[in-house]
This record gives sequence, structure tokens and C-alpha cells, in this order.
Amino acid sequence: MLPPRNPTVSPILTLVVQFFFLACANNHADFATALPNRPDLRADYQVFAVRCSKCHSLARPLNSGITDDNHWDQYVARMRRQPGSGINQVNAVTILRFLHALAAAERERMRARNDVAPLLTVRDGGSP
Amino acid sequence: MIRPTATERLIAVVAFATTLLLLFGIAPAQAGEDRNFAGSAQFDYMFARHDSIQDAQAPGPRTPLTGFTTEAALKIAVDISDHLSANFKLCYGCHGFELDMAYFDFRVADEFNLRTGRFSPTFGAFNLRHDPANHPFSDKPLPYDMGRMLRKGDWNNGVLPAPFPMTGAEVNGTHWVGSDVQVDYAAYVAMGFKNESDLHPTDINFQESHLPYYVTADPRPVTGGRLGMTIRLSDVSDATLGVSGMYGTYDFRNRLSYGIVGIDIAMRVGRATVRAEYLVRRQQADTSNPGIFKYAVASEHGDFFLKHGMYLELKLPAAEPLMVLGRVDAMIRQGNVSEAPVGAGGDFVVDSPLMNNVTVVRETIGLAYDIERNFRLKLSLETWQFSYADADNHKNDVSAHVGVVGSL
Repeated sequence: MLPPRNPTVSPILTLVVQFFFLACANNHADFATALPNRPDLRADYQVFAVRCSKCHSLARPLNSGITDDNHWDQYVARMRRQPGSGINQVNAVTILRFLHALAAAERERMRARNDVAPLLTVRDGGSP
Repeated sequence: MIRPTATERLIAVVAFATTLLLLFGIAPAQAGEDRNFAGSAQFDYMFARHDSIQDAQAPGPRTPLTGFTTEAALKIAVDISDHLSANFKLCYGCHGFELDMAYFDFRVADEFNLRTGRFSPTFGAFNLRHDPANHPFSDKPLPYDMGRMLRKGDWNNGVLPAPFPMTGAEVNGTHWVGSDVQVDYAAYVAMGFKNESDLHPTDINFQESHLPYYVTADPRPVTGGRLGMTIRLSDVSDATLGVSGMYGTYDFRNRLSYGIVGIDIAMRVGRATVRAEYLVRRQQADTSNPGIFKYAVASEHGDFFLKHGMYLELKLPAAEPLMVLGRVDAMIRQGNVSEAPVGAGGDFVVDSPLMNNVTVVRETIGLAYDIERNFRLKLSLETWQFSYADADNHKNDVSAHVGVVGSL
């Protein structure tokens, strides 16, 4: 006689199937083709990607919605001081060049959406 | 001592969260203040081939946390001025709400920062990225495990379950030697771990250390620190070496000590990372009731055990949204075995399957796939090899994780 089927298998299979369809529906087009591929920012993005992904996903800064350059200055200064960050002063300047471009793009995006008052406070960006 | 009810705790948490929102979220920003609001939530399903019958029947929080679990956190970081910043983080996990961070950093220079409040003191390399949004596996490495390991009741979790928020003060800093060598240090005094519920404490009660009341009858703080060095090997690679230590007592009489030392090493090439850590904890036990021990208590050096933990993990980005993961971790426990479960209160004993020299080795392979920015799928398969059989005569086990983590 076959042993009774373990009832916990079904939920796992269900989740796997659901995630498969979700994965098929993903859209990384903007991630791959926007700022990181701009010729003048490609090298800066590489430094940003290598250094910042050491402790957190790149989605956090990329989706932060930060529009204020000064905010990025303070934020990168705080990250640079994290133990083992490996972000020296030269890297900080390079990373900020990319993040300032990101902030400008974010301001432009908001302007296009007819947002009269751009956000000065930040919706996101921390590393819990 | 009167303990708050679950309702009172919930009210306190809601009140605290509301206060945070009012203080930092809704109130207008002061000039010069920059606020980062962040959050994460991981929903994970863990399937284990064998669920130990003995664990399920034993008193206390001994059963492995298989099935669905949720880890969630909300954090706000505020740069108040060039020298002062604050971090508050509220998290929710398997044993309810926890204030993971509530501290201020007063930075005089890069080389001297004073941190005061509630925080996890600097130890090792994992704690900085313990949030499930910041590490790609569903669970933590065994030395830092907090409840997801199989037979956790036998082992009383890892060597240093993370996170480990404590109230205290820390001095830390970083200094660059040229542009290629970064030196970090941290030194702290904090409340430390405790076990005030057992008549004859034989180990730290980590759960008690994370629950109200957040005070301890032991006034002596734990002390410790870390020294680390990062060397940039090229523009896209670096290597880090760190050593950490922590020493304190955990009983209210200040007689039973624990000391933890660790070494961490990491190498990064591009976005691929190899990281390894080794920790060992020397844990003193109350032997005044020898009847609760499995073996006769030796007159010399019989009042402590050693718990070693180590892990080696590899994160290899295969393509932009996909990361391949591999990990080998292990723990070794050497020393007498208390058969009174931690947190059970007194002299009640169970027939512990542990012996005076036992090991567990786990091997994990996994994938992390970014379905969407800030939304990641985590899959992993784990094999377990214990050096001792459980009540069902199993030495080996298999488990699997399916999880998603989102961040904002």
C-alpha cells in the first residue's frame, strides 16, 4: 500500500506555479535600459552597482524616489562610514554622480506627471 | 513581577508605531533634516521531511518553525544634522513585535561616533545585513540562527541568534589609510543576554532576552567590540577581515558567564561574494543541581560547554534578475548536557538526545530571482546531517524554502 500523500506538498507546488507565472510577467526593461546604459553614466553605474549591492539590493536606491541632491550627499556619507563598505572618497563622488542623475530623472518624471510640488521628504531609501 | 497581557502589548506597539508616524512621517521636515523611510516583509514557507515528535512534545519553544513564517520591519532613519542621526526600526517576527533599533548616532568625525539607545552591538559580518531584504537566503546561517534550524530546542538556537538588540552605548568609527585600506572598530557596553526564569540556569534564554520586561536584574553590562579591515584589491573587488568578541554574565547573581569570539572574512569580485564566519561561545552553567545534567558533573571544568558555529556562503549573480546561492554551515557542541529545557522554569527534565560532542552540518543551494524591483523570490533546498539520531531514529533530514520578500 502506498503511504498517504503528504498534504504539505500541494501548497508548495501551488506557490511554485504562481511564482513561475509572476516571474514570466516581470518587466526589467526600465532597469536595463534607462540611466545605467546612458553612455556618460555607465561607468558611474558600475561603481554604484558593485559598492552599494554589498549590503543591500540596488532596488532600494533605484526606487527611492529621492529628488534632493543634498539628501543623497548625506545618505552616501552615512553609507560610506558603514564598516567594510569599501566606499572611499573617490567612489563616493562617482556614486553621487549617478545618484544625482537619478534624482534629476526623478524630478523630471514628477514634473511630467504635473506634480507642482516635488517631494522634498523621502519615501524610501533606507537599509533596514 | 506583573507581565503585560497580549492586548496590552498590542496597544503599546500600536501607540509606539503611531508616535513614530506622527514624529517622523506626518510632521513637516525641519530644515536640513533628511528622512529615509524603509520597510521589508518576507513571507516564507519551510517544509521539512521529518518533524521531531520529541520536539513537539517537549515544553517550551522547542518545535522547529516549519510552515509559514513572516518577518516584517519598518524603519525610519533621520539625518538631523551633519553630526547627528537617528534610527528607529520596529520589526515583527515569530515571537511578536520587537524594537530592533532606537538609537542616536553622534558623529564627531568618521573615526569617532557615539551610538546610544537600543541596537544590536557590532559583532561579525552578518548582523549588518540580517534583514531578509538584505540577504538572499530565506533563513540565516546556523551560527546566527533564531528559530529556523531543525532541532532548535536541542541546540537552543545558534551561537549568537541575530538580531540581538540591547540597550547600551557603542563607540565606533572608520578610517581610510590611503584610498585602498579601510579600518573599522567598535567597542560597546550593553545590557546583555539573560536567563531569569530558570531556577538553575544552564544556558542563555534568548527568547526571554527579546521579551518584556526589557530590563534585567543583572546590572553588569556585557562588553565587547569588533576590529575590521577592508582592502580594495581593484576597482571592483575587495576583501574584508574582522575579529569580534563579547563577554558578560547572564544570571541575576552575576556568576554565570558567556564569552563569544568570532572571525569573519569576505571577498567580493564584482557583484559575486564569498563570505565565511566562525564563532564560538563558551557558556557557563549552574551546576548546583547536578540531577538535571545528563552526565556526572566534573569537579573541574565541568560547568561550561562550547558551541562552535561556522558558515561559508557564495552569492553569484547569474544574470541581472537572477542570483545563484550556495552555503555550507555547521555547528559543534561540546560539553555536558542539561536535560532541563531552557525557559521551562525549573528542574523538569526531558531525555535530551544531545551528547557531549555533537555536530550538525547543513548544505544549501538556492536561487534568488527579482520578479520586480523590490520584490524577490527565494527558493532553497537544504540537507541536514546530524551526528545523533532523534527520537524517530533519523540522523539526516531535508528541508526546502519557498519565499518572497518585498522592500520599500
